[in-house]
Amino acid sequence: MVTMTIDGQPIQVPVGSTVLQAARALGIDVPTICYLEGYQASTSCLACLVKLEGTDRAVPACGTPAADGMRVSSETLDVHDLRRTALELILSDHVGDCIAPCVFACPAHMDAPQMLREIRSDDLRQAIATVKEDIALPAILGRVCPKPCEKGCRRQGADGPVEICDLKRYVADRDLASGDPYQPECKPDTGRRVAVIGSGPAGLAAAFHLRRDGHAVTVYEAREQPGGRLQADYSTDILPHETLEAEVGVIFRLGAELRTGTRIGQHVKFDDLRAQYDAVLVACGVVDRDEVRSWGLTVGARGIESRVGTYQTNVEGVFVAGTAMRGKGLVVRSVADGKEATEVISQYLAGQTIKPVQRAFSSRMGKIQADEMPEFLSRAADLPRVDATRDVVGEFQAREATDQAHRCMSCDCVAHGNCRLEHYAALYGADPAKYQDGRRAFAVVNRAGSVQYEPGKCINCELCIQVAARAKDALGLTFVGRGFDVRIGVPFNRTIDEGVGSLAAECVAVCPTGALYFSTPRLVQLGTPQNRR
Amino acid sequence: MPDLDLTFVDRVVAEVGDGADAVIPILQRLQDHYRYLPQPALRRVCELTQITPAAITGVSGFYTQFRHHPVGQHVFQVCVGTACHVQGAELVREAAATELRLGEGEDTDSDGLFTVQTVACLGCCTLAPMVQIGDTAYGHLTRAKVPDVLRDYLARKDSQTHTPTAVPRARTRLDGEVRVGLGSCCIAQGADKVFAAVEHVLADNNLSACAKRVGCAGVCYDEPLLEVVPVHGPSRLYTHVQPEDVEAILLRHFQPRNVLRRLGHVGRHWLDQLLNGVDDADPPDLHADASCAEDVCAFLEPQRRLSTEHCGKINPTDLDEYLRTDGFVALRRCLESNDPAHIIAQITSSGLRGRGGAGFPTGIKWQKVREAAGDVRYVICNGDEGDPGAFMDRMILESVPYQVIEGMAIAALAVGAREGFFYIRAEYPLAVRRIREALDVCRQRGWLGDNILGSGFSLQLSVREGAGAFVCGEETALIASIEGRRGMPHLRPPYPAESGLWEKPTLINNVETFALVPWIIRHGPTAFAAYGTEKGKGTKVFALAGKVARGGLIEVPVGVTIRHVVEQIGGGVVGGRRFKAVQIGGPSGGCVPAELADTPIDYEPLARIGAIMGSGGMVVLDDSDCMVDIARYFLRFTQDQSCGKCTFGRVGTRRMLDILDRICSGQAQSGDLERLEQLSRHVCAGSLCGLGKTAPNPILSTLRYFRDEYEAHVQGRCPAGKCKELIAYKINDRCIGCTLCAQHCPVDAIPLTPYERHVINLDLCTRCDTCRQVCPVDAVYIE
Repeated sequence: MVTMTIDGQPIQVPVGSTVLQAARALGIDVPTICYLEGYQASTSCLACLVKLEGTDRAVPACGTPAADGMRVSSETLDVHDLRRTALELILSDHVGDCIAPCVFACPAHMDAPQMLREIRSDDLRQAIATVKEDIALPAILGRVCPKPCEKGCRRQGADGPVEICDLKRYVADRDLASGDPYQPECKPDTGRRVAVIGSGPAGLAAAFHLRRDGHAVTVYEAREQPGGRLQADYSTDILPHETLEAEVGVIFRLGAELRTGTRIGQHVKFDDLRAQYDAVLVACGVVDRDEVRSWGLTVGARGIESRVGTYQTNVEGVFVAGTAMRGKGLVVRSVADGKEATEVISQYLAGQTIKPVQRAFSSRMGKIQADEMPEFLSRAADLPRVDATRDVVGEFQAREATDQAHRCMSCDCVAHGNCRLEHYAALYGADPAKYQDGRRAFAVVNRAGSVQYEPGKCINCELCIQVAARAKDALGLTFVGRGFDVRIGVPFNRTIDEGVGSLAAECVAVCPTGALYFSTPRLVQLGTPQNRR
Repeated sequence: MPDLDLTFVDRVVAEVGDGADAVIPILQRLQDHYRYLPQPALRRVCELTQITPAAITGVSGFYTQFRHHPVGQHVFQVCVGTACHVQGAELVREAAATELRLGEGEDTDSDGLFTVQTVACLGCCTLAPMVQIGDTAYGHLTRAKVPDVLRDYLARKDSQTHTPTAVPRARTRLDGEVRVGLGSCCIAQGADKVFAAVEHVLADNNLSACAKRVGCAGVCYDEPLLEVVPVHGPSRLYTHVQPEDVEAILLRHFQPRNVLRRLGHVGRHWLDQLLNGVDDADPPDLHADASCAEDVCAFLEPQRRLSTEHCGKINPTDLDEYLRTDGFVALRRCLESNDPAHIIAQITSSGLRGRGGAGFPTGIKWQKVREAAGDVRYVICNGDEGDPGAFMDRMILESVPYQVIEGMAIAALAVGAREGFFYIRAEYPLAVRRIREALDVCRQRGWLGDNILGSGFSLQLSVREGAGAFVCGEETALIASIEGRRGMPHLRPPYPAESGLWEKPTLINNVETFALVPWIIRHGPTAFAAYGTEKGKGTKVFALAGKVARGGLIEVPVGVTIRHVVEQIGGGVVGGRRFKAVQIGGPSGGCVPAELADTPIDYEPLARIGAIMGSGGMVVLDDSDCMVDIARYFLRFTQDQSCGKCTFGRVGTRRMLDILDRICSGQAQSGDLERLEQLSRHVCAGSLCGLGKTAPNPILSTLRYFRDEYEAHVQGRCPAGKCKELIAYKINDRCIGCTLCAQHCPVDAIPLTPYERHVINLDLCTRCDTCRQVCPVDAVYIE
């Protein structure tokens, strides 16, 4: 056995162990991207750097043998800075979006590409679940939203964006019409009670998400009908009563209580509310300044003031969301506020330190060049955009919806949520733009084949090379070039499939960043004949 | 393309071998033959050998020497080493590209005659800027000379004069010998023609002296050198000798044996006197000889030559001469006593530290290899001298090959190795040739091979040529290269001393380190330790180049000051410019400002001020040099040479270069200096190998001492007037309207206006500096 210390903690590991194994034995989460248990350490990504105490040397934990008396520091600011720089350098040369641009364009960050994939595979039940992760009122938003997501859609730069919003409406309408609308699973009761003032989009969304988190919710509505500005601002031509009622009904079937005709300050005192509930969310729309001041809340130019990103007002246990805070805004913004305020309230109710709601980490490819568009388009169906409201009179038929979903170029990453680079970059707060200066062109190698390779996402971890070297029936893979331009190549300009042979699945599985993946089966016979141009 | 004849591949494989480690030698032979690497040939190699398709693809794509497209008939290699860079190498490359009408991204002209390539450093720094075509080198170039160089080379190729080989003549007694230094850079200055002239003159006049090829004396700034060494009387050194001077020089020292000829000379002399009334048979420029010699004294006198003691004195490949000058005495002594522990003890107590750059104590390294487990051990001589601005190893290998072999043999005996390799960069063809020749001679004469001198000790040595990768100077990458892999370093430990070549304990030392060993054994460790300082014993060879009057190869005791080297030995900065800084240690080193010139040249003192001893490149900079540009120059080099393995080396160096590019082009963003500094520190700390760890040194040292220059660039000014995007060429009213500038401008940016002041169109101007160089009245200035 070898005895060493990491951050002052002694640890004994068998002879031949690495510093990484010792750190993991201590439960220290040393980031690794290129390293994978069971494969030879290539010591190339250097995200696992640790410092040898008493020296200036930083060494990769994955390839450094543990030695008797070794003193290593791992969880120090110094070491974290180095690791963050390694991550930022990798990201500065990472051509890809973890999360698609349409998702960032949507204030609620709905995972549109995921929804579209599920529509494509005819799994509408899963599609509504995906939608409702972020959007509590999809049928409503499908009718009133100005579709910022479509402005973010990359296909906008070619032959028009994917019909994200209308397809979401299609998913939601089908769900409501199914007779058994989707009900998300709610967490076990927390025993905590939250009062929501207002049943507009923010209040309704909050009620939905608070219930999912297991809290008891009471929604107070001054008017006789729930809906707030959804009732007031839209004609029934745009937003029929049935749709509103049906979608609101789903929320209250989750167990939230609705008290209409109850005006806070008139029927119930604000302070009483505070006393009866563990938290109060003010989501009452445009505020009466004097009244909310009388509740003790600070009011600014737009509405009730809150701490940046936390939805907390100046009064303990009182939160604010939607128009009450912003003065105005899109309905989808209010729906997003309801979701995000819930995150914060749940932290508050659990007695945790409140962390401001942050935009999810993502590498960003940014604007694409005209000559990159064909590469993107080739990932999607070559079908024209069909405008649901104009071309097919308000409603997609199943086949049209599937076709339109096939227009998605899948700008998000196949490894999103399952990528070591993304995971540790988020954990370390790495800034992908810090060292960026231009980027290499987006390219997919072996587009026509089975295993596809995106050099822009490759971090040269060597794992696929190690695997392919074992393939008896293949040419193998190798690094080609030198320096900054090094990437994976196949001997004699053959295809990746010929390089990996029968070990294709293992090569894809070991890739830490989604640079290698199987092509999705191409549907050659796409679309209804009349939709093809 | 016509069908390729692949029988050559079979022949090469039969000669070189079919092991995985044969890949680089095979590729080198194929490239020589086909002028590039045709895919069918590579496939054939894989069929015939154990080399896998992945290996041959990876290796052929890693080393810059290998080309996948046919190369032109002649390769015009532009040296972009440090000295050449500061003297305008980029302008030379541009001029060649313009002259050959190369388009963007092209390197070969449409006739397939010339391919223009840049080379990291050809090690002829005192000729800067220089180019090499085939075996011919051209030095001190300007943009305007490039067309002549191309023409001259083709003309030479056509006439291809056969150099007469000396006819060995039996001589009973010689009056002396005539030495001509024939190092690569000497040849580039025409020393080969001088040598041919010497042979002619000796033969024609039947003089009682022999012509002797010797290695480089290091007095590069005064080449070609000719030294007359009479058996009796003092020797005499002639500098800047031209072939036409040779006859007069030799006749001064040696009497023609042929009476008639002697009479003829006397008669001619007498006739000259009678007719011209002058008593002067010497060519006029030989008058400068006395002062030149004084100059050479100033250059040589402060030096202490240990590893270079025989350089410039003996014929590099003449084993007998080496033996006459105490050659192989040390090895013989070691073989006779056969006491490895004692050898190591001597090296240890001499205090010798590795001369390759890191300065690791040599004796300790030898001890570790000796103690390592296992029967098989290797020795490797690291001759992959890649630092731009360094040419010590080239000069030693070219001038005293037997001495290096002797040092290596002693090391092999000490550590218990029976096989060893010279790893020499392919850019040093003469060094490779001389070592190969010397190894052959040693094998024939029993100094290498089985049972050397009957001692029972056997040693096989062979040469492996590099293929154009600076990173292979790093020991683990070098080993990978010998094994036939991409030259990518791996994490140490394990150190090569424990697990090196083919995972056996391996001793790797630099050329200069091995070259010092025989001297230490012969004179004893105390004599060696008498030179130098407390922690830096002995002497160190430096390549002195740049803006200095006397550039060349020098060997001085460790611990002399930078000022001593620059001013005493180098004769100070030329051209009335101000001494600004010295770049020491090449891409791993730093810039020492003139204010710190009293710093001793020693491991720790240099490290304290942000430089390193390094392998010994020393480039003197004056006030016309831009320090940001220098930092960028080195970064561009290391970035280009990074193997591409680790994040800091691969991406970090690139991002540092991006920031420097922004700064030099006036595009700096706010916070760029701080970002650059932080990134530099992280790349130092985080990189996997020495190349990455030291790559930021040129930035950190210039940021430390010349931060004001960085700030000026951020504000859009280049104080030294070097950075193209930040300067403008203008013509003042001294212009006499001679039209020279307009005639020479390669991009027609100056309209021809005879007798009027000329004006430069800045939109067309490429800042090539030609107009300023040709202007007879210094009317062109940089703003």
